[in-house]
Amino acid sequence: MRKNITLAAAVPLALIIGLAGCGQSQSQAQESATTESATADANSEVDAAALSLDDAWVKAADDGMTAVFGTLKNNTDKDITLVEAKYPDADMVQLHETVEDDSGATTMREKKGGVAIPAGQSVTFEPGGDHIMLMGLKKPIKAGEEISVELVTADDQSVDVTAVAKEYSGAKENYSPEEAEGNADDESADEGDMSHDDMDHDDMDHEDMGHEDMDHGDH
Amino acid sequence: MITDPHEEGRGPADSQGSAAGCPFGFSRRRLIASAAAAGGTGVIGAVAGFGIGRGRAAEAPASPRRDLTGANGPVLEPFYGTHQAGVETPAQAYAHFLALRLRPGTKAAEAVRWLRLLTADAAALTQGTAPLADSEPELARDPARLTVTFGFGRRLVAFAGKDRVPDWLGPLEKFRIDDLETKLCEGDLLLQICGDDPLTLAHARRMLFKDSRAFAELAWQRDGFRRSYGSEGEGQTQRNLFGQLDGTANPGPGSEDFARIIWGQGTGRADARFSARGEPPTDLGAHLPDWMRGGTTLVLRDIAMNLETWDEADRPGREFSVGRTLDTGAPLSGGDEFDPPDFTAVDARGLTKISAASHVARARDGLGPEVQIHRRTFNYETGAGEESGLLFASFQADIDRQFLPIQRRLAEVDLLNTWTTPIGSTVWAIPPGIEEGEYIGQSLFEG
Repeated sequence: MRKNITLAAAVPLALIIGLAGCGQSQSQAQESATTESATADANSEVDAAALSLDDAWVKAADDGMTAVFGTLKNNTDKDITLVEAKYPDADMVQLHETVEDDSGATTMREKKGGVAIPAGQSVTFEPGGDHIMLMGLKKPIKAGEEISVELVTADDQSVDVTAVAKEYSGAKENYSPEEAEGNADDESADEGDMSHDDMDHDDMDHEDMGHEDMDHGDH
Repeated sequence: MITDPHEEGRGPADSQGSAAGCPFGFSRRRLIASAAAAGGTGVIGAVAGFGIGRGRAAEAPASPRRDLTGANGPVLEPFYGTHQAGVETPAQAYAHFLALRLRPGTKAAEAVRWLRLLTADAAALTQGTAPLADSEPELARDPARLTVTFGFGRRLVAFAGKDRVPDWLGPLEKFRIDDLETKLCEGDLLLQICGDDPLTLAHARRMLFKDSRAFAELAWQRDGFRRSYGSEGEGQTQRNLFGQLDGTANPGPGSEDFARIIWGQGTGRADARFSARGEPPTDLGAHLPDWMRGGTTLVLRDIAMNLETWDEADRPGREFSVGRTLDTGAPLSGGDEFDPPDFTAVDARGLTKISAASHVARARDGLGPEVQIHRRTFNYETGAGEESGLLFASFQADIDRQFLPIQRRLAEVDLLNTWTTPIGSTVWAIPPGIEEGEYIGQSLFEG
């Protein structure tokens, strides 16, 4: 069982919570001990968190799947690898990348090994690129609502970020369509031929992996 | 924080040369930047940048001048401030008016979520920044004085409690001249989206509409226009499709008149000067509920103008009906556009030079200094030979004391009624401006 501690920071309250039965190193605690807020509301401008998701938003969806976007920012002088995201109202959450197959069509797949954010750098989660995939929504995410997503790093640190829901028609890249099992709630008919020839994506050397395949949520 | 997104990269020759070349000895962009530094309130931006010609109503307007400061695209109107932008802001070249109707079953909490989304969109777009989930972020780059002004209808206000709905917020009394279309009298939220660049405006409208669809549907929309930016000097009175100067009597932005007539309260300044109409009272906003402090009211009249029958009227008849000359807008009693009309002046035959039935006589003769409004009008024409008219946006602190006395008189007698027909009419509460981190309407829902 993974034991997460609060990465966002720092305030004594956060430390008390975070240090309870966990292995946070003293250096990390000091390093991030600058924030003024113990709420871990990393929505956009809380730079004090070691890791923040600025301009965070999630595509509004009634059910099925959707994705979270924003600028993932490493506010420390050490590399951070995001390995997991958690959202309690989804059956499964994965970090995804979008890649082009031999035919030029784009497909998204789990980014195995996580997302590396070099010290002081940012990684952009955006439609057509990397994103946090929420699958099997247990309840709708409605326009204007704010959801909280927990980000977990390779060294078992965690930070809560807030994303506001916006209606958005894009972000429909196929999720390994050849393996698709389908999703009764999705209108997958109009998603099979999406292709982006000019797509830029990180050349991460992750193997595609067998996983449950679903189209991005449509609603 | 208001900064010019395009300030970087402009050569010194541009910014300095413009200051030297400008007859007023300043750079427009610099003024805006300094206004932002000074606090960035809507009033400051409007006054410093654009109050030149009509800053004091009693003074003559500025003469036309060329824009020597460079492109207009990067010019910003502040979003945050005491008042919403788009009221005192000198009118931009284009306007989209969108009236949105809440979807049945919408809850108060959803309405607040909607307002939060729209506020975030407007705050970003007006400052040249793409809002979240903007799929065409490049189109947000050149705001060109984009403003987004929110108006609340009765139903939206009632979400905060029925006791918070002011009596005046609802349909106006019926006027004899009205031929209202039901559809054009509806809406729970008004978005007045103004700017000098139609492409920017189209994008802003689409973003705001996309973020509205989950909560509301379009009741009606009108697109209006004035002169393009740069066609004539700032501070010029606009012309409507009849060729008339339209808005001569408006109080100047930043003036004491404006503060009292539109925002409903005096500024307290000692050196206040007033127009020839006299000194307006300082209590016109006293009736406004607390959540509207810093706000005002808007009566939006969609006035169809019959260009076909207007064509049949010859020039003397046209001028007689308005009481002003068409070319300069001067009263037929003499002087120039801004000279007060002399309703007693008579011609050689002993007849008054300005007809008692003329528009100008009906609109102001005998009415006290409190009976003034700020008309921020835009023309519309949907196509050749199709609908033509005027979006008559009338801002005033008190509809009962300011707008209605004029409207009742014009409905009774006004020669201009021969060619004009009100076809749409809506009344809106204009909530106050906000600070960063707040949303438009917060004083209503959380005040």
